[in-house]
Amino acid sequence: MVILGQHLFNGLLIGCAYALIAIGLTMIFGVMNIANFAHGEFYMLGGFVAYYLVSLVGFNYFLALPTAVVLVVVLAIILQHSIFRRLRDAPLMTTTLVTIGLSIFLEHSALMLWGPQPQSIPNPFPTKPLSFFGIYTTPLYIFSMAVTAALIVVGHLLIRRTRMGKAMRATFQNKEASALVGIRIDRIYMYTFAFGAALAAAAGAVLGGFIPVEPTAGGIITLKAFIVVILGGLGSFVGAIVGGILLGIAEALGAGYMPAGWKDAIGFFAVILVLLLRPEGLFKRA
Amino acid sequence: MLDRNGQRLLTAAFGLVLLAIPFVVHDSYYLHLFVVAAIFVIVAVGLDLIVGYVGQLSLAHAAFFGLGAYISALLSLRLQWSMWIGLPAAALFTGLVAFLLGLVILRTRGHRFIIITVAFAELMKLVATNWVDVTRGFMGLPGLKIPNLYVPGIGAVDISSKERFYYVVLAAAVIAFLLCRTMVRSSIGRAFVLVRENEGLAESLGISAFRYCMIAFVVGAALAGGAGSLYAHYVGFVSPDLFNFSYVTIMLIMVILGGKGTLIGPALGAVIFTFLPELLREASHWRMIIFALILIVTTLFMPRGIIFPLLEHVVPKRWRARHVDAS
Repeated sequence: MVILGQHLFNGLLIGCAYALIAIGLTMIFGVMNIANFAHGEFYMLGGFVAYYLVSLVGFNYFLALPTAVVLVVVLAIILQHSIFRRLRDAPLMTTTLVTIGLSIFLEHSALMLWGPQPQSIPNPFPTKPLSFFGIYTTPLYIFSMAVTAALIVVGHLLIRRTRMGKAMRATFQNKEASALVGIRIDRIYMYTFAFGAALAAAAGAVLGGFIPVEPTAGGIITLKAFIVVILGGLGSFVGAIVGGILLGIAEALGAGYMPAGWKDAIGFFAVILVLLLRPEGLFKRA
Repeated sequence: MLDRNGQRLLTAAFGLVLLAIPFVVHDSYYLHLFVVAAIFVIVAVGLDLIVGYVGQLSLAHAAFFGLGAYISALLSLRLQWSMWIGLPAAALFTGLVAFLLGLVILRTRGHRFIIITVAFAELMKLVATNWVDVTRGFMGLPGLKIPNLYVPGIGAVDISSKERFYYVVLAAAVIAFLLCRTMVRSSIGRAFVLVRENEGLAESLGISAFRYCMIAFVVGAALAGGAGSLYAHYVGFVSPDLFNFSYVTIMLIMVILGGKGTLIGPALGAVIFTFLPELLREASHWRMIIFALILIVTTLFMPRGIIFPLLEHVVPKRWRARHVDAS
């Protein structure tokens, strides 16, 4: 029972990270109608920039995380202006091929700049494990858990409670009508894209303490995020959160009770099952 | 523009050049590239049926290639089947897997279709990596051999040299190309294009989009499986690296740059993109960066590709009418 609790607890953090990445992906899909196959690269870049700020530039850990997110967002805005603007309303084949190209471009640029070695972000937390009710954890884990959970809440509030969020949701539902009532669609696209990139970069920077960051990490993360988005329902915010946490927990249980190496298969089977039984996803569009 | 006799002359000259390659090219390394190029022609025309003709972006193609390679390797190493039985068996098995996968995923279109093809490819990689009892995991399966060819009247001919094996893969590539060409010039090909251009209209005319997508998907996969089998026996070794995502990217670049929805374009794209990566080998990371940029720029600004539009000046109108493709 305690072991089960430990697996569930371990899955929660990675689940929250999946949720963060999937939220951005589903928003970009819903608002801009682009399936962004380069989304996981923002996760990878967030981790790498944070690593370099801490270990080479000598930034304070708590300062490096937000700085990394800001730098990745700047890159995202440049990409949005140069490439993603052209993809608006383009056929699916075009957007997919271009974002796959972009993903390879970013991955191999990272390989050239930083080399292939996985790197862990040094952090100031004590390594002494904490234990409660027989479940072991570390201060870093608690911190990361709190940050990812807080970011999910902040993201939710941004979309639900602010004018900007309202404008995003309106654009999501009907572009022409939103433009008609004076919403600046171009800005909404930019904010949505930057918002999505920021969440993914934050997930990468925070998780870089446990899961070593490597240039090739983006591809599998993109795939996982897409699986989450399909599980939750394309374009559904709540679906992305619940789907992400479910996938994280399922993988942690799989890692605990299945032969090593097979846990990544869980998501793939889940997505095929959902597609067969409930093609619109577990949650309808919100 | 050439008249009909001119075209025949051109085709004959091209055929002669292909046949003469082992006599002209003595450098073993370049000969090796020609063999690989011919194998990838099979892969590219098969992928083009799916991506170019019925217009579904499948990212599972490299997985079918790898699956064919593994099946063939296992049949050869565990059951001692010769390549001559292993190759059709690999193609059939890959086609069967594509059929079963298609039953599930061809009900969907768009994003879901693409993601599930990626998921399937990753699953294949997981199986090759983790089912160690059968696949030996990362260590791969070495020791594959090219069998003798039995020619009636002559007996066993050793075809394991690059010069001789080149003719085997050339024959396979020509057969694959002609198979696809016959297909796209028939009513099946016209149905493919209609499904791509207007699925609703196709359905209203009684043309089942599901059925024609399935035909393209299964034939494309079977060709990839057969090509994988040839590749496995030629290289003599299979490993989970065959399932890397970079393979499917290169296959897509061959098709997109060649001109999707045409056959000669992707075929030439396969040859060019077998040689280009090797020529850029000095700068291996730059190579993928350059490819990524080529993919982005071509898709955004030259949706018809590069090779086929260039060819249009030589290729007769008769071909163009069949290979018409607007997007």
